[in-house]
Amino acid sequence: MKQSVLSHFDLPWLPVTGLILFVVCFALYTYWTFKKSNRPVYEQASLIPLEEPTKVSSTQGRN
Amino acid sequence: MSSVQSNAPSSNRRLETFSYDDQIVRWFVIATVIWGAVALLLGAVIAFQLADWRVNLGLPWTTFGRLRPLHTNAAIFAFCGNAIFAGIYFSHQRLLKARLFNDTLSKVHFWGWQFIIVSAALTLPFGITTGKEYAELEWPIDILITLIWVVFAVNFFGTIIRRRERHIYVAIWFYIATILTVAVLHIVNSMELPVSFLKSYSMYAGVQDALVQWWYGHNAVAFFLTTPFLGLMYYFVPKAANRPVYSYRLSIIHFWSLVFIYIWAGPHHLLYTTLPEWAQTLGMIFSVSLWMPSWGGMINGLMTLRGVWNKVRTEPGLRFMATSLTFYGMSTFEGPLLSIKSINAIAHFTDWIPGHVHSGTIGWNYMLVAGILFYLVPKLWNTELYSKKLAHAQFWLATIGLVFYIVSMWVAGITQSLMWRAMDSSGKLLYPNFIETVVKIVPMYWVRAIGGTLVLISFIMMMYNLYKTAKKGKVGEEEKFEAYALDDSSVEKEASPHRKLEGWPMVFAVLSLIAILVGSAIEIVPSLLSDKYIVKMDVIKPYSPLELLGRDVYIKEGCYLCHSQTVRPMAHEVVRYGKASEAAEFVYDHPFQWGSKRTGPDLARVGGKYNDMWHYRHFYEPREVTPGSIMPRYTWLFNNKIEYKFLVKKMSVMKSLGVPYSAEEIQNSVMNAQAQAKTIADGLVSSGVPAAIMDKEIIALIAYMQRIGVDYSKAEAP
Repeated sequence: MKQSVLSHFDLPWLPVTGLILFVVCFALYTYWTFKKSNRPVYEQASLIPLEEPTKVSSTQGRN
Repeated sequence: MSSVQSNAPSSNRRLETFSYDDQIVRWFVIATVIWGAVALLLGAVIAFQLADWRVNLGLPWTTFGRLRPLHTNAAIFAFCGNAIFAGIYFSHQRLLKARLFNDTLSKVHFWGWQFIIVSAALTLPFGITTGKEYAELEWPIDILITLIWVVFAVNFFGTIIRRRERHIYVAIWFYIATILTVAVLHIVNSMELPVSFLKSYSMYAGVQDALVQWWYGHNAVAFFLTTPFLGLMYYFVPKAANRPVYSYRLSIIHFWSLVFIYIWAGPHHLLYTTLPEWAQTLGMIFSVSLWMPSWGGMINGLMTLRGVWNKVRTEPGLRFMATSLTFYGMSTFEGPLLSIKSINAIAHFTDWIPGHVHSGTIGWNYMLVAGILFYLVPKLWNTELYSKKLAHAQFWLATIGLVFYIVSMWVAGITQSLMWRAMDSSGKLLYPNFIETVVKIVPMYWVRAIGGTLVLISFIMMMYNLYKTAKKGKVGEEEKFEAYALDDSSVEKEASPHRKLEGWPMVFAVLSLIAILVGSAIEIVPSLLSDKYIVKMDVIKPYSPLELLGRDVYIKEGCYLCHSQTVRPMAHEVVRYGKASEAAEFVYDHPFQWGSKRTGPDLARVGGKYNDMWHYRHFYEPREVTPGSIMPRYTWLFNNKIEYKFLVKKMSVMKSLGVPYSAEEIQNSVMNAQAQAKTIADGLVSSGVPAAIMDKEIIALIAYMQRIGVDYSKAEAP
């Protein structure tokens, strides 16, 4: 009975739509990301955590 | 050639002075350490309770069923939650070169979150629970969580708006995905109708509830225990190693693939249940696909340490981070493996699953948090770490404890599974008594408890080390910094679309939201359409008023944490329990009670299997009827009176949710419940039980136990 009920509940377009969306998006952002011209940009972006802003002064804080 | 030029000096650009709010980070660090100890202590206690039932202490609020949700909530939302906020607030400010949006919002966020945790601690041990795993908190606390999450989001996005760095670094992408997805998950899964201030029923029932719950449950792991920690990894590993991330481009692929794929994987928690086959298969395929982004992230993290592996030996922070990435790789290998249907058939409901979960939560989350704290605390208190030796000892203790935990659960899980399914050539079960499989794995429960205790001790060592570090340091001064304000000169006009997107946080957030909503919508469609594929069965009737009250007792005591209520279509399960479960059986179950673990046997067909007296004796002293049982005693159910006060309201709420109670049934509910209680009590009294038992909770619970699966048993065999 379970199988017969489930056989009436068939929405193959749903997962297929999801799959197509994923593949298209994956191809697009992989292309943009690995485009040769973007390499130096991303190399510089990867340095952001290591950059420290310039210290200017200090005020008395809490203890 | 375009370049990141947000803070490149320019004569036209305005130089601004600012400071970081590190006080809020200190508060969240302290909360992380305190709640982490509480969570691990609770974990060790419940591990010992499974090894020896006497550790339940015979008190309602110290029993496994009530403490286990407290442990999971403390570990996920208190320990990991506070760690996430500490790490995000520290890194977010530095990555954007901006102070947090609003100091008052930060304080409201901190105290609000602590209030939520205390509320959980004051409700869960008293049986105030929704009965949905990892979402047990009742509706007023759910609303509070939503409000505090909004405060967090406003503070977070407000800081982005005030930033001085054009490029949104990849760590922040993970934070954005976390904030948006957790909000969606929490709101959708917490849809419930209140009965009273501390009681509600889930708006979903049966299969629908199961699907929404495990869409939430799986993605709570994904977007509370994974994505924020990956964001933290992308900031703190490069900082601690003083090297940029191995491949920034890989991190972009990692982000989009992970966010898109993770959300689909929830149904792997419901394989072989009455969920539609295509939804199960979809969940399995996307779970297996998760290998790709997960390992991409792990490799990216580990490779960041290239050239500084010598420091991993000497620097405790880096050592913990490297180990956490290794465990991340291991658990994200094991997860997809467990979601393959044939492997899931073996592993599901066994102790293998808690073993897998803890390789993630201890190996990945605890280890990464330890690494971050060893970096953060000396920085925040302007000093050096108190003792590297102590940190290394902590590392070994935690690692050995975790190995004890994982290996014992592998052994226990595989042993259980093989014993459950063992049949002779004539089709008879080799171990027909479930208790045989329990007794066999109790030694592994001892090993797990010892492993958990070692992890707890390691955490206490870290607490001491961090306390001494903070004590010898000082909070000192709030430093001022200079950076250029963002203006049009930092916009990369010639950049590719994705590069532009990285500078548009709101568009980026919307796209992230779409990425998670696509998978969510496709997963939840079966749930919304469940009326179309679940053929109502006339024999399935709503619970009687007394059974409904008994079901609430079942939920209150957390029975679902050790007993499932769904029979999978497998020969050994059908032989052991009875007919495989059907979606139509659960249409009145608000919330569903399928469970996720079989420490005790499945109860889907327990109605009528034993007489009332058997249940009475079993709840009073389980070992009287099942020698060797590790179930706690529930003696208070023999003293607590049945709560009839809200019965009419409960039935009215159920009616609002679609349960076909008539007006007459609702009006006469108390009278009908008392009549059924009298019938059950009379039968027990005739066997020598005191007459005063009639109005006690145990009677309602027996009524519910005797009803489970009975209606479906009357249906024709499929």
